[in-house]
Amino acid sequence: MTTIRLENLVKSFGSFTALKTMDLEIGNGEFVALLGPSGCGKSTTMNMIAGMEAPTSGRILFDGRDMAGVPMGKRGVGFVFQNYAIFTHMTVRQNLAYGPKARGWPKAKVDAAVAKIADFLQLTPMLDQKSAKLSVNILQRLAIGRSAIVEPAIFLLDEPLSNVDAAFRAVMRTELKHLQREFRQTMVYVTHDQLEAMTMADRIAVMDHGVLQQVGTPIEVYNDPVNLFVARFIGAPGMNLVEGTLAETDRGLAVDLGAFGLSPPLPAALAGAARTAGAKEVVYGFRPEEVTLRTEGPGLRAAVGFVERIGARTIVHFGAADRALKIVAEPSTAVSVGETLSIEPVAASVRLFDKASGRAIKGAA
Amino acid sequence: MPPSGTRTVATDREERRLGFRLTLPTQVLILFIAVFPLLMQLYISLTDWSPLEGTGWWRAYELWNGFANYTDLLGDSRLWGALWRTFVVMLVCVPAEFLLGLGLAVLFMDDFPGKRVFYSILLMPMMVVPAVAGYMFFMLFQSGGPVNGILSGLTGLDVTIAWLSDPTLALVAVMIADIWQWTPLMFLILLAGLVGVPEDQLKAATLLGASWGQRFVTIMLPRIRTVLIIALAIRVIESFKIFDTLYIMTGGGPGVATETISVYIYKVTTQDLIWGYVAAIALVILIALSVLTVLAMKRMAAAGGRA
Repeated sequence: MTTIRLENLVKSFGSFTALKTMDLEIGNGEFVALLGPSGCGKSTTMNMIAGMEAPTSGRILFDGRDMAGVPMGKRGVGFVFQNYAIFTHMTVRQNLAYGPKARGWPKAKVDAAVAKIADFLQLTPMLDQKSAKLSVNILQRLAIGRSAIVEPAIFLLDEPLSNVDAAFRAVMRTELKHLQREFRQTMVYVTHDQLEAMTMADRIAVMDHGVLQQVGTPIEVYNDPVNLFVARFIGAPGMNLVEGTLAETDRGLAVDLGAFGLSPPLPAALAGAARTAGAKEVVYGFRPEEVTLRTEGPGLRAAVGFVERIGARTIVHFGAADRALKIVAEPSTAVSVGETLSIEPVAASVRLFDKASGRAIKGAA
Repeated sequence: MPPSGTRTVATDREERRLGFRLTLPTQVLILFIAVFPLLMQLYISLTDWSPLEGTGWWRAYELWNGFANYTDLLGDSRLWGALWRTFVVMLVCVPAEFLLGLGLAVLFMDDFPGKRVFYSILLMPMMVVPAVAGYMFFMLFQSGGPVNGILSGLTGLDVTIAWLSDPTLALVAVMIADIWQWTPLMFLILLAGLVGVPEDQLKAATLLGASWGQRFVTIMLPRIRTVLIIALAIRVIESFKIFDTLYIMTGGGPGVATETISVYIYKVTTQDLIWGYVAAIALVILIALSVLTVLAMKRMAAAGGRA
């Protein structure tokens, strides 16, 4: 039950800078996901919060208290490792009792705490089993229980689901989110899987190349990406991003998308913002899910490249290579390869980015 | 098509036959280098045969004496004395080498300046040919030698201990040489074990508040159990066979003060030439060592199941 504050946090390894000035505030009981591709600095950030690595500069504050010089055993941090780091030569009970025993709790208190946490995590039936042969969801519960028993102020989870096969990940996600609600712990979760971040986190911190790109709720990050990186990274399939030039038409400001033709006129607010920004070269973005697909009508004209039918929905791919578009349509959508269609993005879902800076051009909400 | 069950049995038999044929050369080799000498040893141990007889060993049955050699060795006080000294060497050297090796291995888990250099220096004794090490220590422990020189310098007195001619000190000197030469092996094996301890488990333990000592006892030691038993088993067996260094330093003397079992067997073989008796002693020791090894292996298998 602690707030975490990262102030101007920087970490360099020799000449390589893993993290360039990170500022982040994580509220009490909040579940924040640090999301980004590998090498983006998310694990470095987490290791510094845990105290495994010292920051090159900047401060880490727990409830306003500077953690510099506080060794990792004394920070009150629970850490769930990627492979859980269960002590496989011990029983479940010995694993759970490890922290309390290391802290020298009296035996009666240790036993009571173990019984309580085992009951809570439904580990009681396997308390005296060797932990080497447990299934992965039990290992996850055990890893969480082993940290939770000493009541850490915050919980750090380092990609705990990356070794789990895809089919089981959904179950584990649900369980993890459920546990977080029960514990009401401040949790920081590192992942490169946006689905994990979107489904579990209260807020997502998207990172790339050691720079924090955007912090927001999953919906904010999904709906209003601040730059091209976030737009591309969040969403499966990601946002359609087409380079173009702003063009005044008799029906208002639109974007000339080259081979795709002219975009439908931009909504007034966005057009205003684009005029204010004064940008000419832009990137036109829209979510594959938010379009109207017709044979004839307004919108981007493109030929169907190929069609992926994946049951609940159909993904229609248009164009080729660098100027490709993806559209998520109803499963029953009848389209044939080679056919030219009109793609009209839902006006409210259209996003514009400055091509040079990559930043979003935002209209008044 | 025949039922699959019959086919499998036939294929199994076929495969086993092929396996037998493929390993036949090796089996013949093992027969000649291990089984044959063993049977020969057993045969000779039941006779009074000696190379001085002038007859071939296969005619040893002419000197058949049944189990007389075996009953003789029960009353051979020199043999028991040698066995006792061998055990003393084992009981002093192996724990000393183990503790020193473990301590050094723990030190080498962390980085420190000059680690590579120290590492190379530490491994050097192991590379020295034992006979050469014997000469080195023979020189070091002379009464006018460097050991006394250093002791003189430290105490300020004129130390002239006759290390290798004093019955007790000679054994001490021999044990020091053994510890010097074999601590590196212990160190190397234990370091390999410690390096293999999963880093994240140690980190997890640290995050749970465990001190270094707690981590050592609860994570590191249980994790290197198997390696630890292997290291101990190797050194116990090897120390039982202690010979080269010792023989060159003292020749088993003064008197029989440093006569271990290997030295005793060597002397009986080359000086007394009573090979029937030697065969009996060697066989008994072989059986004793085999039992020891099997026990160690069993413990190891059990530990392997746990780790």
